[in-house]
Amino acid sequence: MGQLVVNGLALGSIYALVALGLLLIFNTVQIVNFAQGQLLMLGAFIGISGAVTHELPVAIAWIVTMAAMALIGIVFMVLVYFPLRGRPPFLVILTTIAMGIVLENLALIIWGPLPVSLPSPVRGAPLRFAGVVISMHQLFIFATLAAILLLQFLLLTKTRFGILMQATAQDLHTARLVGIPVNRTIAVAFAFGAMLSGVAGLLVAPIFLAEPTMGGSLGLKGFVVSVIGGFGNLPGAVLGGLFLGLIETFGARYISSNFRDAYAFIVMIAVLVAWPRGLFGEKSSEKV
Amino acid sequence: MKHPIPLVLCAAVTLLLPAATHDGYIIQLLNISILNAIVVLGLNFATGWTGQINFGQAAFYGLGAYTTAIATKAGLPWITTPVLSALVVLVASLALGLPTLRLRTYYLAMTTIGFGEIVRLIIVHWEPVTGGTSGLRAIPGISVFGFGPQGQIQHYYLLVAALALAAFIGTRIRKSSLGRAMIATKDSEIAAEQSGVDTTRTKLLAFMIGAVYAGLAGCLYASSIRFISPDSFSGVQAILLMTMLIVGGMGSIIGCIIGAVALTILPEALRFLGQWYLVLYGLGVIAVIALAPGGLASIASVIRLRQAGGR
Repeated sequence: MGQLVVNGLALGSIYALVALGLLLIFNTVQIVNFAQGQLLMLGAFIGISGAVTHELPVAIAWIVTMAAMALIGIVFMVLVYFPLRGRPPFLVILTTIAMGIVLENLALIIWGPLPVSLPSPVRGAPLRFAGVVISMHQLFIFATLAAILLLQFLLLTKTRFGILMQATAQDLHTARLVGIPVNRTIAVAFAFGAMLSGVAGLLVAPIFLAEPTMGGSLGLKGFVVSVIGGFGNLPGAVLGGLFLGLIETFGARYISSNFRDAYAFIVMIAVLVAWPRGLFGEKSSEKV
Repeated sequence: MKHPIPLVLCAAVTLLLPAATHDGYIIQLLNISILNAIVVLGLNFATGWTGQINFGQAAFYGLGAYTTAIATKAGLPWITTPVLSALVVLVASLALGLPTLRLRTYYLAMTTIGFGEIVRLIIVHWEPVTGGTSGLRAIPGISVFGFGPQGQIQHYYLLVAALALAAFIGTRIRKSSLGRAMIATKDSEIAAEQSGVDTTRTKLLAFMIGAVYAGLAGCLYASSIRFISPDSFSGVQAILLMTMLIVGGMGSIIGCIIGAVALTILPEALRFLGQWYLVLYGLGVIAVIALAPGGLASIASVIRLRQAGGR
């Protein structure tokens, strides 16, 4: 029971990280990136290339991955978002999905279809108390989520950049008129958003193995979390992630593990029907 | 008839195509592309005309196919299967559409993806009935009181007739008051409501008509291809169907057919590209959406405009 809670929270923290990456992009350009899972997969594989193939120390591989992901985020923005600026969100959903297909198949070409493992950056014996085992990697996941949550909160509320982002989200044209460097702000949001999913990938790869097709389902979980927590809501994303991790772990144990991936969608549809703005409220300038 | 010559030409090519090839594989591929075209025509009601994103179409396709396969394998006469398939997808689309069609774009995209995934998981794990991941084989063929098409070429003509009927009904619906309500809903829900259009009802009807198209196409798929597996109706397939609609041209019946046929045949023709095909495919979809929002159908009309000297 206690063990299920720990495992569920660790899984949920990963989902929360994916949702935080989505949120950063959503809060700036009001766009949901349906390729976030594939960005996560790229993060995992770049980490593996560094740490396993080129035998870099894991910490260095992490830094290299994050830098690469920031760059990939910007390229992603140029290819997928810029050509469609001001067009209906419906079309942007499709371009991000198409980009997801591109990334997944590029990864298959580069790294092959076989699952690979990435070592954890932390070592040491797992903690045990009251029959519950917490691995060092799980602790590291919790710590990373807490640190990123704190950083992102400060970034969004206390810095000049956070204000620029909000202004851009509320009204892109007015923001540009009053002299806000809109393009730069959006680029930073995409770079950070991709970096966050890269981190989620680096954290996932030591638990589950990394494979090119891993992104699809993890990306979708990220949206489910965003829906449960309310799109653009920072604490909502984290609580929603932890909640979904627990639901999946307990559902797989007590109901049926075959339908593991269905619980997320059932919960999401239930939440949408009952609370269309998510359990914790949506933070967005309504666009009807 | 606005364009009699191209239309007659298209019809002639369609009818003579089987004479040009004796390759069963190519005819089979054409048959699947026609079935996909019917499903995409269905998707066009909700997405192309009414403006509602829908990633559940592959699941409705699958529900129709599995209903037919299970019913005929259990010994029911074939003639009952179109009715059964239509009923199953009607109930499913009502159950999905009623609570969710009020939702905005992203949420609707997600709930329909979720619906498709739940249907897929049920098909995969309900093994005694659905055959699980290995699917169902040796499904009884189309037979109406002992008469039915024999061989792939006869199936081809039957499916062409079904597609023509589907396109004809689509045109009639587009010209009806329901069709105008769909376009109004797509253009602006608020304005449509102000003009007395019940947008929720319109969206639901568009969604359900589209689901019935997919369900009936699924019925024909099961009893003409005679083998089904969950892969043919997965989330990936839902995305493919959506891209057929976009690449062909949203809102255009000819566009739907062009998109479905082109994107069903292209992967086979470009098989030598291997994995690179899907990379190019993704980039191609982005390029079409960015550069030709009306899809291939609009490129044709742009050319026609240029020829007429207009701009």
